[in-house]
Amino acid sequence: MHNWRAYVCRHLPPLAVGPERENAIVAELALQLEQAYSDSLAAGAPEAEAVARAHNQFGDWAAPAREINAAERPSEPRAERTGGVLSGAARDVRYTARFLVRNPAFAAIAVATLAFGIGGNTAIFTMVDAVALRSLPYPQPGHLVAIETRKAQQPELEPWTSALDFFDIREQASTFSSVAAISPIWSKVLSGRGEAERLETLYVSADLFSMLGVNAELGRIFLPKEDNRTQASNAVVLSHSLWLRRFGADPNILGASLNLDNAAYTVIGVLPANFRYAGEPVAGTSSEIDAWLPLSANPIVSSIRGLRFLKVAGRMKPGVSLQQSQDEIGRIGTRLAEQFPDSNRGFVYEVQSLTAQVTGRFRVAMLLLLGTVGFVLLMACANVANLLLARASARQREISIRAALGASRLRLLRQLLTEGLVLAAAGAVAGLGVAYIGLRLLVQTAPATLVRPAEVSLDGRALLFTSAAALACALFAGLPPAWRVVRADIESALRGSGRVMLAGHHRLRSALVVLQVAVALVLLVGAGLLIRSFQRLLDIDPGFRPRNLITISTQMPSSAQTPEQRTALLRTMREELAAIPGVQSVGAVSRLPLLGSNLCAWLFVEGKYVPGEPGYDVEYRVASPNYFATMGIPLRAGRLFDEHDDANPSAGILINETAARKLWPGEDPVGKRVKLGTPPERFPWITVIGVVGDVRHAGLDTDPRPEVYRPYALNPLSSPILVIRTAMDPGPLIDVMSAKVRSVAAGVPVYNVFAMQALVDRSTAQRRFVMLLMTGFATAALLLAGVGIYGTVSQAVVQRTQEIGLRMALGASPGAALRLVFRQGILLTGVGIAAGSLAALGLTRLMRQMLVEVRPLDPVSFLAAAIALGAFAALACYVPALRATRVDPLVALRQDC
Amino acid sequence: MGHADIGTRDLQKGSAEMIVLALLEGRARHGYELAKLIESQSESKLQFHVASLYPLLYRLERKLLVEGRWVEKAGERRRRFYRLTPAGRRALASHRRTWREFVTVLNTLTGFSHA
Repeated sequence: MHNWRAYVCRHLPPLAVGPERENAIVAELALQLEQAYSDSLAAGAPEAEAVARAHNQFGDWAAPAREINAAERPSEPRAERTGGVLSGAARDVRYTARFLVRNPAFAAIAVATLAFGIGGNTAIFTMVDAVALRSLPYPQPGHLVAIETRKAQQPELEPWTSALDFFDIREQASTFSSVAAISPIWSKVLSGRGEAERLETLYVSADLFSMLGVNAELGRIFLPKEDNRTQASNAVVLSHSLWLRRFGADPNILGASLNLDNAAYTVIGVLPANFRYAGEPVAGTSSEIDAWLPLSANPIVSSIRGLRFLKVAGRMKPGVSLQQSQDEIGRIGTRLAEQFPDSNRGFVYEVQSLTAQVTGRFRVAMLLLLGTVGFVLLMACANVANLLLARASARQREISIRAALGASRLRLLRQLLTEGLVLAAAGAVAGLGVAYIGLRLLVQTAPATLVRPAEVSLDGRALLFTSAAALACALFAGLPPAWRVVRADIESALRGSGRVMLAGHHRLRSALVVLQVAVALVLLVGAGLLIRSFQRLLDIDPGFRPRNLITISTQMPSSAQTPEQRTALLRTMREELAAIPGVQSVGAVSRLPLLGSNLCAWLFVEGKYVPGEPGYDVEYRVASPNYFATMGIPLRAGRLFDEHDDANPSAGILINETAARKLWPGEDPVGKRVKLGTPPERFPWITVIGVVGDVRHAGLDTDPRPEVYRPYALNPLSSPILVIRTAMDPGPLIDVMSAKVRSVAAGVPVYNVFAMQALVDRSTAQRRFVMLLMTGFATAALLLAGVGIYGTVSQAVVQRTQEIGLRMALGASPGAALRLVFRQGILLTGVGIAAGSLAALGLTRLMRQMLVEVRPLDPVSFLAAAIALGAFAALACYVPALRATRVDPLVALRQDC
Repeated sequence: MGHADIGTRDLQKGSAEMIVLALLEGRARHGYELAKLIESQSESKLQFHVASLYPLLYRLERKLLVEGRWVEKAGERRRRFYRLTPAGRRALASHRRTWREFVTVLNTLTGFSHA
């Protein structure tokens, strides 16, 4: 019996058709031969002749094979033949969409992975864009600059400019079309119209609004005449929100008189609803400015040149570069230092773009987050590329056949990239949903100083970013499989099992897993550094005991003008508060720790100061006698203030430990004498009566600066900040306390009522936020890496089933199979960890600014990240390894791979 | 081996499609049967080599003029039968028209039918 089928198989060259079709053709041709043979026999031909006739049916097999291939070649649609690229692309899209619908699990995993990556990126980008990237909302923002006066020796100090310097700069600078000054945020009490309310106000020079290109929505903005230094103006411009909230958007508000801090101001205009000054001192705060006053009305505008309290901004003339304006301001600064050495020597004058001033403090944190989430997207893409590669392995024959049928490599590449694109587009659409939800969560959890909800929303830029991210994903996820397939040896894939191609796929998949592990390690190290840094931050002693401590800001009423009246009124407040059951002690201070405001003074040490030389720059506070006991600030030497300290200007001062170390290293400072204020000749000697513990006033992560305290009686504050220590949780007492303070006199406002613990928490909020986000993304990266390892090792187990079966048939134990699989997974992880460690060594340096008392190369963070990743990788290997141990040698050996 | 008794390969090539379609007009047939029919009905003057027949069938199938289907009849081997599709019928009619016109023109010009 002749096996005609085998005969055809032997002689017919490989056809460029699918395996099923090839089988059918072979069967049909074999039938033809068999029939010819049988008919010959039936006609009486001898066996040999019958066989020969059958063989003669085809003769040269190459020609029919060519003809069959030509006949089977699909006719290209007309549109494509005539170069209709789009029509071909539409077919590619349809093809991919059909595939995805038929493989819902694949589609769901790929789209969800990309949606997570793209959505997370869009949400973070939108936040980062609003906080640190977007240009300022004023015309030609690139021309706006900040002009800053810095102390050359202490560049870390907040730069402020004196009013006299500002006037000189404004007069002399020729590269600017305007220069404007802005005061610190000034709290004022609005009274006389309903309940007293504390407003946040700014004193600004008249041309600030015109410089920013802002006009009044109602009425007018300030005029040059309101900038007259010799004649204070009483005009006030209201913010839109104050006008709405307090005056019900009354259009007749213009010309109305407002009582601010017991002075009368006339409303001249209302600003547009969307106006917000972005620069300092507003930048980096959650403050909403309620009212704008002319600089000429500021009580200290005519003060000495040494009193620096203004922020200065300018608009460069068209065509002027930042460097040119910097050069000019530098020259003016040098001139001023020569003219006024007492006050200006040792100061430098700098120009930076206003955008940089606004975004500078958040930029590193924001870019860190953006980089992190970008890495996560890279990992998501790698996972999808891995999925596509796994899929490409399964359909290599189909692709090879299409190539053999004449589909060009470009055409195949396009098809495979289209698959990536369709997935990425679906991921982007789903990602927008993820971004929307993610952004809402971000805005809810982000500290108010960082993200202002009104400024953060998904918009055209976010959409553009999403599209770009999707395109990048399409390329990154689609290219590796496409490259692999297109480069593969089509002939060998057609012929057999295509092991060459599978091996190639596997190498590429392994490389992708190594990349994922490396990226995950970088992110885990980054998150570890931030977590450790945050722990250190929380371990830092703020210098006081914030538990069970309440603070209330208030203001002396107009009825208490003299120092005696204020001292008496404060005493009444203290007595009223102390009478509340549960209250242990009450104190008052001029500036509270962690509230951000500060006042500096020049200090000259007896026996050390040289006339003409600048003194020490110290922080200046006024405190009531029991402030230190109430706050829990320890006394280190000497004594604290007591009730006998009076308004005598030479009454003693307290200094902190840092001042003691800096001013009298190795000496006992108690009894030493100093002068406060410049020029020192005009001020009396004051004796240091004690040393108190350091307090971290500027923030937990900022080292304490030299500091002096003066008694309250010497300088009775117009706006004291009360601190109250209670025996238990002060929460329920807050309302009673506020009412007590208000009841002391008519028109006494109560504001900034905080638990001190909340202030401590708030000071760490931004770091906590960045740390939590980074940790979240690092965890996601860990999961993605785990999935990648699992997928690759699983596929390797499937491909090596025969080998494993053979080994087991030859007596290998299941444990050996387990080791075989584990070895591969752990090897990939090891290489990834090594590569990631190298990358992290370089990248963590960029985080230096974000770290507190932790070095960028902190071994604990590196080790912890490697261990976490190794453990997770082991877990990801375990499941496929377990499967390998259950391989049945018989089944495995019979399998045709 | 690829020879035809009528020495007009081109003619044969152009007509091959029509011949196969015409043979399938009455009923479905398998490849071997088609080859045999062509050979017997043309009194062996028109011998269709199977090397050309099967690719032709596949081309007609791809053009949706014929439809091939595996059929297993009682007591017989499983074979692939081809039958005309409606498009195949239309194509056959069109072929016939063209040939009729061609032959008419040929007659008029050469009077070869009277020869």
